[in-house]
Amino acid sequence: MFNKSKLAFSSGITVLLLAAAASLPVQALEVGDQVPELELPGNGQTVKLPKQPGKVIYLDFWASWCGPCRQSFPWMNAMQDKYKKQDFEVIGVNLDGQAADAEKFLAKVPAKFTIAYDAKGNSARQYGVKGMPTSLLIGKDGKVIYMHMGFNNEGREKLEQAIQLAVEGRK
Amino acid sequence: MRGRTTKLSLLALAMLSASGCSLVQPVQPWEKGMLSRPEMTFETDRLDAAYTEHVYFSKEAASGGSGAGGGGCGCN
Amino acid sequence: MGLAGRAILAAALSMPILETARAETVPESAVISYKYLDYQESQLGEDRIGVKARAWSVLLPFAGDWSVQATYTKDAVSGASPRFWSKAAASMRDNREAKDISVTRYFSHDTLTIGASLSDENDYRSEGFSFAGTHSTEDKNTTFNYGFAVTNDDISSNGLQENKRKVDWALGITQILTSKDIVQLTVTDVQGKGYFTDPYKLFDLRPDSRHQNTAQVRWNHFIEGSDATLRLSYRYYTDSWSIKAHTLGVEYVQPLPGGWVLTPSLRVHDQSAAEFYVNPADFPWTATYSSLDQRLSAFGARTYGFKVSKTFDANWTVDVKYEKYLQRSGWRLFGQGSPDIDPFDAKMFQLGVSYRF
Repeated sequence: MFNKSKLAFSSGITVLLLAAAASLPVQALEVGDQVPELELPGNGQTVKLPKQPGKVIYLDFWASWCGPCRQSFPWMNAMQDKYKKQDFEVIGVNLDGQAADAEKFLAKVPAKFTIAYDAKGNSARQYGVKGMPTSLLIGKDGKVIYMHMGFNNEGREKLEQAIQLAVEGRK
Repeated sequence: MRGRTTKLSLLALAMLSASGCSLVQPVQPWEKGMLSRPEMTFETDRLDAAYTEHVYFSKEAASGGSGAGGGGCGCN
Repeated sequence: MGLAGRAILAAALSMPILETARAETVPESAVISYKYLDYQESQLGEDRIGVKARAWSVLLPFAGDWSVQATYTKDAVSGASPRFWSKAAASMRDNREAKDISVTRYFSHDTLTIGASLSDENDYRSEGFSFAGTHSTEDKNTTFNYGFAVTNDDISSNGLQENKRKVDWALGITQILTSKDIVQLTVTDVQGKGYFTDPYKLFDLRPDSRHQNTAQVRWNHFIEGSDATLRLSYRYYTDSWSIKAHTLGVEYVQPLPGGWVLTPSLRVHDQSAAEFYVNPADFPWTATYSSLDQRLSAFGARTYGFKVSKTFDANWTVDVKYEKYLQRSGWRLFGQGSPDIDPFDAKMFQLGVSYRF
């Protein structure tokens, strides 16, 4: 009886592993791709991409319930301050289903950068967002330089280095 | 009887895993706000769960269910 | 139940389990928790075993992709059990200590956890090691859970020197169905070999092996209108002692303004008797194995519970839980209960404090 259980167990594991392998990734934006056009409501103005004239954009998809998003805001504020004179802009696209949740968050964690609202998540779908938060560093030519999912202290330095290179015209 | 239960459960698991991704519209990452609430996860209050599970372990014949229990329970 | 029986009960009560499912992402903050348990059982209007337990738990994320979890439990058992079927007579107090630790490494779509546990008292020592992991699909809507554990128990009471070993396997899937629904299916297989007999009970002699299987399904459903969550679980249990059990759990988590959360709960349990369970009235018994342990009899049980928690300043949480457990042979849903068993009741009170930092 134990041998039968073992066989059932191993065949079960095999099927599960095959099923895991079969869940293929959805097509997403790659480094070097032109970013899709964006037009979303913001606080008092419409937020559009691509920017005319071109700017280096740090585009961040966030939501009020996402923990790492909370951690990333102070850093994004710092980046906005540091590089804004070098044609750099941070844009945070909020994906909360209810704008009220976003407002509660922003009251506690203020943003010194542009916020756009996309409750239906269409832009997230177009940009191939796979996890929260997802951030893209977009060059003046409107092409993706760097894509990053999640946010932690270890990743910040790498992100800032990428921003520095981009605003200086190097990649 | 036991072997059959194991086999049926594994078959159910396999079927669920194979079909799970396509049966329903996949939920997008930005739609997981409600799922992120602690009470919507399967991580219960660890100490609460430890206490209640062990009361049932010592007062009933059945045990387990959620995972591989490490740590012996001296329940003879 | 006797002295060692009480010790064994205490061991059962305080030994932390490594079963509780782990998150698939690094915890955002560290957490330290304390919980106090006051357990009191009664039968035929008399108080029986009472346990007062204290447990501390700490969870620490570190080095970006790691976390460590440690728990320490200490408890004191007091009270007597019915003497008639027990060799020990006196009412005594026992203390025991249990500790466990586990370390988890987090990857983008996987986690790996190793753990160890130790439980010690006068006459019972239990050690365990476990390994578990999760693997999520690309969109993280499906997660596979797997686990393996080994346990070694050494029993040395009243001149006895015995041993028992257990190997556990667990395999499961967690599936996000909608933005408000998540389900989990888990199957487990446990093989135990060694000494299962309760040396402090008269006429107790059990087989030297026990093979157990469970299949459990859980479903969490969010109710948007009230921000409440309905948590349902069902477990089917079967083993080589011919025991079959069904356990259904329902919890309704209702958050209220001000950081309050109310959670009423109900648990319904049904089990058949072990094949070697004997009714005292049927004396003498001729089978090789026998046990009069009520725990192995056929009965139904219900637990009514209510938990209240309050979060202060987003960092401190205090919770209080009260549960009433009732066991009756006449409450079986799937068969006959064992005859001549007295109703059994227990009250459980928990008080906990948690700090996030």
